[in-house]
Amino acid sequence: MIELPSRPGRRTLLVGLGAITAVWIAAGLAFPDSWAGALLSIAASPSTHTAMLRLAVPIALAAIGGIFAEKSGVINIGIEGLLIVSAFSAILVTFWLGAGESTLALSHHWWGFAVGVLVSTLFALLFAIVCIEFKADQIIAGLAVWLIALGLAPFASRIVFQSPNTAGVGRFENVTIPVLSELPVVGYLLFDTPPQVYIMLGAAVVGWYLLNRTAFGRWVVASGENPKALDTAGVDVRRVRYAAVLLSGVFAGLGGAGFALGQLGTFAGSGETAIGGRGFIAIATYLFANYHPIGALLGSFLFAGLESVQIQLQNLGYAVPTELIRTVPYVTVIVVLVFVGKTRLPEAAGESYDADED
Amino acid sequence: MREDLERLLERLVHASVLERVAISFAALLAAILLGGVLVFVSGAFATCRSGLDLAGATFCYNPMQVYYELFLGALGHPLEGGWELHNYNLATTLRQTTLLIFAGLSVAVAFRAGLFNIGTQGQLVVGGLTTAVTVLFAASYLPSGFVGTVLLVPIGVLAGAVGGGFYGAIPGALKAYAGANEVITTIMLNFIAVGVTSTLLSWRFQDPASDNPQTRAVPEYAEIPNLPLVGFSPRMNFSLLALGFAIALIVGIAWLLARTAFGYELRTTGVQPAAAAYGGVDEKRMTVASMTLSGALGGIGGAFWVLMEHGRWLENVPDLGFDGIAVSILAGNNPLGVGFAAFLFGVLDSGSNSINTATDVPPELVGVLSGTIILFVAMPEFFRMIGRRYVDLEDSVPARSTGGEADD
Amino acid sequence: MTGSETATNDARADEELAVHLDGITKRFPGVVANDDVDLRVERGSVHALLGENGAGKTTLMNVLYGLYEPTEGRVLVDGTERSFDRPRDAIDAGVGMIHQHFMLVETMTVAENIALGNEPRKWGGLAVDRGRIDREVRDLCDRYGFDVDLSATVAELSVGARQRVEILKALYRGADVLIFDEPTAVLTPQEVEDLYGVFEELTERGKTIVFITHKLGEAMHAADGVTVLRDGRAVASVEPAETTREELAELMVGREVLLEADSDPVETGDPVLSAANVTVEDDRGVEAVSGIDLEVRAGEVFGIAGVDGNGQSELIEAITGLRTPDGGTVRFDGEDVTDWSRRRRIEGGMAHVPEDRHEQGLVMPFDLVENAVLGSQRSARFARSGRIDWADVRDHAEDVIGTYDVRPPDADAHAESLSGGNQQKFVVGRELERDPELAVATHPTRGVDIGSTEFIHERLLDLRREGKAVLVVSSNLDEVQALSDRLAVIYEGEFVAVTDPDDVTEEELGLLMAGERPDERTQPARAGSADAGGER
Repeated sequence: MIELPSRPGRRTLLVGLGAITAVWIAAGLAFPDSWAGALLSIAASPSTHTAMLRLAVPIALAAIGGIFAEKSGVINIGIEGLLIVSAFSAILVTFWLGAGESTLALSHHWWGFAVGVLVSTLFALLFAIVCIEFKADQIIAGLAVWLIALGLAPFASRIVFQSPNTAGVGRFENVTIPVLSELPVVGYLLFDTPPQVYIMLGAAVVGWYLLNRTAFGRWVVASGENPKALDTAGVDVRRVRYAAVLLSGVFAGLGGAGFALGQLGTFAGSGETAIGGRGFIAIATYLFANYHPIGALLGSFLFAGLESVQIQLQNLGYAVPTELIRTVPYVTVIVVLVFVGKTRLPEAAGESYDADED
Repeated sequence: MREDLERLLERLVHASVLERVAISFAALLAAILLGGVLVFVSGAFATCRSGLDLAGATFCYNPMQVYYELFLGALGHPLEGGWELHNYNLATTLRQTTLLIFAGLSVAVAFRAGLFNIGTQGQLVVGGLTTAVTVLFAASYLPSGFVGTVLLVPIGVLAGAVGGGFYGAIPGALKAYAGANEVITTIMLNFIAVGVTSTLLSWRFQDPASDNPQTRAVPEYAEIPNLPLVGFSPRMNFSLLALGFAIALIVGIAWLLARTAFGYELRTTGVQPAAAAYGGVDEKRMTVASMTLSGALGGIGGAFWVLMEHGRWLENVPDLGFDGIAVSILAGNNPLGVGFAAFLFGVLDSGSNSINTATDVPPELVGVLSGTIILFVAMPEFFRMIGRRYVDLEDSVPARSTGGEADD
Repeated sequence: MTGSETATNDARADEELAVHLDGITKRFPGVVANDDVDLRVERGSVHALLGENGAGKTTLMNVLYGLYEPTEGRVLVDGTERSFDRPRDAIDAGVGMIHQHFMLVETMTVAENIALGNEPRKWGGLAVDRGRIDREVRDLCDRYGFDVDLSATVAELSVGARQRVEILKALYRGADVLIFDEPTAVLTPQEVEDLYGVFEELTERGKTIVFITHKLGEAMHAADGVTVLRDGRAVASVEPAETTREELAELMVGREVLLEADSDPVETGDPVLSAANVTVEDDRGVEAVSGIDLEVRAGEVFGIAGVDGNGQSELIEAITGLRTPDGGTVRFDGEDVTDWSRRRRIEGGMAHVPEDRHEQGLVMPFDLVENAVLGSQRSARFARSGRIDWADVRDHAEDVIGTYDVRPPDADAHAESLSGGNQQKFVVGRELERDPELAVATHPTRGVDIGSTEFIHERLLDLRREGKAVLVVSSNLDEVQALSDRLAVIYEGEFVAVTDPDDVTEEELGLLMAGERPDERTQPARAGSADAGGER
């Protein structure tokens, strides 16, 4: 058996995290008044958990999308840009149509959501054409997608709202499932929550099924590992890659639009925008999860959990260096990369495929 | 005869340098064209009193006017009356050019080593703060006046290089010894740089006399001196000496890459790591060394931003590092090209101010433009395809020979 | 398609033909890869396509498989004219190809690979019917006597097993004509015999086989018919029973073949290179070299023969400093160099013609001047305090180009623009002109034309005459036998024999390479710890 070299690193990291958590919980329980205890009570509070699920939405969905693109051999580093354009356009369209009203029996939030996903998919199409048709360097093209989105969102926002930040349009309402929401613990978490969380949970399952149980999923894997094998087996590599990159646009769009309409309710376009690097965190997440969609969902909980604890700390008025605490997820990404740095990328990732090449 | 001509043409078409220049120009034109369309179309969504009425919509923006402001505004409107060379707009353009040369060289050096340093921004932030803090500290022990300038400016620049170099070495080491992808780590380190420097600022270095998040000002004699007579006015925050230093650095880096063993090893590592290892290059060390050099160049950019533009470090650092990526990519990662590309982006940066004051078009347009330029430069195949359509070179493109002594 | 009216003269005979290529010409810009080639293969037979590297064999088969469209000529399968735009069309017409570099996805299972692109669906196309794949592949295995584990991932399989997966893949798609591209290149002699057995099984059940080879013996042994290609033309179509090896060789090369390098005995001196109990792991952490001892003396050529992938690459990397051994010591010129960096070994006088010139030996986008200094960029010869003297380097590059007949003779040409053989000549030239104490050459003449092969052999023997040490690794038996003073055979990371090349026959060497232990006659002069390792 060939043991993937990444395994020990990933396991060490998980064991390490587990050990730290155990020590922290033990310390928190033993000394409830200590710093560890305060943190524990925050981490154990239902509001932290709800926030975590909502904050995980853009990360998890972008990561699942990124898995498809990268597995097919196209590294989509522009996923941050896809989150930005989908989040912004979802808010913009909802605002234009009029928040709180509905057309064709569908609330304008949902129309905005649909357009957000569409715009993200169109950007992914652009990226796919540039990479597949014109054989652009995937990293540079992805970076360009990010930079364009970074300029385009505040540009458009200034035209419509005279400010890089959009007006508020309100958020999705919670969808409460009767009976199930009464269940202890999982009830309030999973069955009384805004729609984008359901979408995220569903997408993880769909993503896993698509990748592992359908013929398309096998083609995606083959396209990233040995495109020539797929080609000689009679499957058009280009089409598979187009489909995979477009899928990454759809998933990222669900994440960006869902995050904007379900969590933010507005979009801040200045600086790094309201997305603030979540697309890059998503990349680290799927590398950490070794391209497993369910694993990516769980991994996103780690980053979202850190963020939600930090927000709770601030809300509760603890005197913490906010700026420094805010860097914790970014530092975590680096730690994760160091431990899983040797994640085996698909053999042909980053290379354009030329059928005529011998 | 015809054959000779074809061969010549072939050589020209494949002369990589010429092609790169052509592609960069084409990319620039394409981006400007696309940007013009964007400006025009987005004008339909803006509100204005007068505009172009077309098909029932009012188009508020005139792309021609926007580009007029962008390019000529950046030079201080030389075609209008009363123009003088030492104007504020041109000073801004040249100041941005100078800073972008450092940022562009930083990205280019890493690129040539096969590393994508997106962290120039963070290295610039860290380098800038290091410079400000070091100069403030050293100034209290050193004499003022001319001697102070001669001592403090080099100390400040050196401090920026050390700070940026250190911050660049981190992702280098992470890549070399832990296999962590430098693209992601440098992006993360950018975010971290912002958090850490602003924490440091509020912890110790905040200017007590100001509500703005910024350090105290360095003494005036520690700023980059202006040249008498030919130089720009000190109010314009631009020194020809700084530009001169940046140009000297371009030549130095070009020489380093082309003429020295280190440069040769760096380039070889960049294009073919296995060949470099075969040729006796320690890849890990080269990764750390080139990232350190790249970070140092970014840090120098930060030092000049502090010592030339503001005289102090401010929390709100402009996106010079990201523009540096665009500069380097447009320049084909060639140090000499970086000079021209930096000037172009200097124009864009400075011109965005003119756009802001003279038109209603949001200055973020420049961000979109630079992203689009990168996108186009990234797909040379696109332009080759167009080129082939109009210049029929089909027969003169040599395929890797399949016959003769082909490979097994 | 052209010339359909001329093809009716022997329509009856055509019905017997599973494959008929009629006047195929394939031009690439600047190159004619196939020039008016005819190929006729009877149904249920094994046909060999014989020729040297670059004779156009693979191009011709790519035409038949739909990877290339012919510039001129017709493709007939089972008597019907076909036009294949892509492999899918060929597959649909019952043509399958077993590529030299297997078209398998290593991370996927055997079953997934076999069905790739042809997955049976269930639930309205929403899922792959994996049960059906298993059933159908098992049926195939039973019919042809294959034994493969369907749930194993391909990465776990041996080369021979992978080849069977490729064959199953073609059969699963209903192939009646199977094209094999150099099927024996990576097989041990034993596996080759097994493959011939498979050929028989297949033809007995009515399948037709075309295989590409450059090995005379294989064509003579396994084929019912042989078509010889030279410089893109079909120069003869013969039956093995009606010809001789010599005749075939001459047809193939175009002149009489002389592959005897002249190697008079030379007084050998002290050991220049010695390795003791060297153990090396490959990239995946699997032990690739298990405790090898070897010694190369001044004035001798030491050869290592073996089927690719038996640890020779890792051994050479450990010797030349490209990989750190996991155990044992390497001594060079009397010093322990085990911990020396690659650069220090180069400076100490070690030249190395690497296995992979595309990845290692040459920097492809650089011109030949810049390539001429690779490895010497810090040596006193070209560098003064860290600055490279490019004028000096250019002179050197031009010397190498002239001496080794590199074409085109242009130092400004980029390495990637050269043909494979010329690239190889440049690398060999640069390394051998380093004036080394030890030259380590892996496949020194791979892809090189015969004239230059002789020259390179001559230069290697010159070094030996000058009292230098030479270590040659090759999977080409003729080459190692002709050059070596002593010859080691490597199998699964161990030397199974070290012998005088004149004392063994090619057949015996073949058996050794397949892992057969030597009998008394080829008793190892210095066998590497034969008792260690064994089963892995």
